Amino acid sequence: MTPEELQKVAIIEQESQEQYDHRIHVCMAAGCLSNRADLVKQQLEKQIAANGLERRCTVKGVGCMGLCAAGPLVSIQPKGIMYQEVKPTDAPDIIQTLDKAPIERLRCDTAMPFFKEQKKVVLENCGLIDPERVEEYIAVGGYQGLLKALTEMQPAEVIEEVTRSGLRGRGGAGFPTGLKWSTVAKAQHPDGRKFVICNADEGDPGAFMDRSVLESDPHRILEGMAIAAYAVGATQGYLYVRAEYPLAVKRLKQAIRQAERLALLGNNIFGTPFSFNVDIRLGAGAFVCGEETALIASIEGKRGQPRPRPPFPAESGLWGCPTLINNVETFANIPPILRNGGEWFAQIGTEKSKGTKVFALAGRVKNTGLIEVPMGIPLRRIIFDIGGGIPDGRKFKAVQTGGPSGGCLPERFLDMPVDYESLMQAGSIMGSGGMIVMDDTSCMVDVARYFMEFCMSESCGKCVPCRVGTAQMHDLLVKIIEKRATDSDVRLLNELCDMVQSTSLCGLGQTAPNPVLSTLRYFPEEYEALVQAGREREAAGSNGSAMHVAPQLKPNSTQPQAHVDSEVTP
Amino acid sequence: MAWIVENRREQSARTSDTPYLTDELKNHLREKYFPRYPTKRAVLMPALHLVQHTYGWIPMQAIEELAEFLEIAPAEALDTATFYEEYWLKPKGKYLIGVCRSLACEICRGQELTDHLRRKLGVEPGETTPDGRFTLIEMECLGSCGTAPVALVNEVLHEELTPEKLDRIIASLPEDPHDYKDPSVTWETEKAGH
Repeated sequence: MTPEELQKVAIIEQESQEQYDHRIHVCMAAGCLSNRADLVKQQLEKQIAANGLERRCTVKGVGCMGLCAAGPLVSIQPKGIMYQEVKPTDAPDIIQTLDKAPIERLRCDTAMPFFKEQKKVVLENCGLIDPERVEEYIAVGGYQGLLKALTEMQPAEVIEEVTRSGLRGRGGAGFPTGLKWSTVAKAQHPDGRKFVICNADEGDPGAFMDRSVLESDPHRILEGMAIAAYAVGATQGYLYVRAEYPLAVKRLKQAIRQAERLALLGNNIFGTPFSFNVDIRLGAGAFVCGEETALIASIEGKRGQPRPRPPFPAESGLWGCPTLINNVETFANIPPILRNGGEWFAQIGTEKSKGTKVFALAGRVKNTGLIEVPMGIPLRRIIFDIGGGIPDGRKFKAVQTGGPSGGCLPERFLDMPVDYESLMQAGSIMGSGGMIVMDDTSCMVDVARYFMEFCMSESCGKCVPCRVGTAQMHDLLVKIIEKRATDSDVRLLNELCDMVQSTSLCGLGQTAPNPVLSTLRYFPEEYEALVQAGREREAAGSNGSAMHVAPQLKPNSTQPQAHVDSEVTP
Repeated sequence: MAWIVENRREQSARTSDTPYLTDELKNHLREKYFPRYPTKRAVLMPALHLVQHTYGWIPMQAIEELAEFLEIAPAEALDTATFYEEYWLKPKGKYLIGVCRSLACEICRGQELTDHLRRKLGVEPGETTPDGRFTLIEMECLGSCGTAPVALVNEVLHEELTPEKLDRIIASLPEDPHDYKDPSVTWETEKAGH
């Protein structure tokens, strides 16, 4: 494909869209689909045909619009009207009123904070384009970043642009992306091979931003990877996706086929000497493969076990070659940075954390779903303005960020700005962006136990601190919850946290104690109440009297359990 | 816990006179995968997925045949196959129902789904119904916490589930699992494996 042809595809697609007076977008992402958005779309199409409006109206399925709690969502462009909780039986009304005033009973208020407080960079196309058509991605400026990089810039200039943007890795650690790229670009291998890997092995409980981007805007990731490959000098890319995301895998496979057909991937892209191919690698249910060296071992066909670093993959990665590994959201930020420039990106966010961050809001919050906000926004605005607060009149208790590597933050941190450093200081991490909100019915010790159980079962077993330590910590937490623990057990738990944190081989073990440490730090009274109950029970047991025994918690420790008798929550 | 090993000394790998790794599968791997990777060992995981896609599970004999085909030791192939939880080394049902057991689903009463299925199907997680139709498992986060609780039925994700909704889904499953398609995928291009 030549640059002129790319322009032509964009113009034809724009014109074909503009010929319609009304373009009806039906959200076909998983959330709306489970509420039968497919039937809504079918009925809308039927109604258009029945009214002979085929030339004036079109209906298309689009990716996630974000407000999953109010699905199925339908938006009418270019008027920008949004309807929520649409049923197939609403189709006649929607079609009848296209030229009139919108239907108030279905209207979704687009001026509410959920929409107004957000800033979309990564999710800019989600809910606007049909993810199954490359033409639509091209029509909204897709592949322009790659075109600019290949035809107007040297690889070093691309890296400079990314460095200028201040973008940091969105997988969780926040390593400066520009620095990583330049390390790979400088690294040499005797046979000259280099690789680019997209880490789409999103496995943190509570995180689903990568899945949504892959399902709603798959070409964006391919473009980001191609730009990275050009910058570092790679010709082969691998997309490592979880097998648990079948829809994302299908959309990606199709996107790769489309890009190859249009010669946006393959040999001599845009008539330049640059060639790049992407292949999908399916994971097989191992959380630890999100760790970069484990992911590399997995692509090589081995057990997904990490190895000590250095050497870092940037110098010696896949088959010993210099390898660039970035997360899905990091790659998703690359095309707009190339299109708009690094300085544009650096204006968003805080001094050390630039740009926006996508968060997955879940748990006890009214508006669950995906949101994208500028870095530095206070937690309170995310949870109470955008998220709409806690449902059922309950009280906010804690927010868990960063999944099993993160921590639980109590109410007093609600006004803290959300960026890499602040979260780390508070004892949690940014992580990949999962936010699970908990109300006063959740037991924090049980939350810690839940995450420890996760780490225990996902530990690869290679290093002793993680393999044995997580199991021991889990047993201690169960003992505490079952009110069998003594003060020395709590001391031992603290010591184990310290040991596992400082001696584990990879990030999984090193961060596994975080949920325990943060709950011990911010909710010590919950641990104390359980230990106290244990003491009382023991005392009662030794007098042969059961009078003061507190009501039992569900003793089945193998079941994750978040709703706990209110007597343990202060 | 990928590091827990099973004693396989008493097990015989050979269970069938005809090979699982048919010429057709071998050709598919040769054409589609060999050119993409510098080593044959790197094809092992896609090959295991292909065998599982074809037979519904991965027999020991197939692992041995794959090792020979990829020129690696059978132990190396077994080492990889046993590490990953999603490779089924024993037969599973036509429909694999994976209920998400993650925290967000748990907060939204996901446990009720598993309990309901336990009763309805008469099996524990990890087990298959005697008629070979359903296997029940609990899975780690399925990445759909905004619409919890969720479950994966083969390759189709179902969200905001209730026991009643699950009953309706199960009742509507076609006899042949190959006819069970994701309604959000509007094209038909899926071929075996890739």
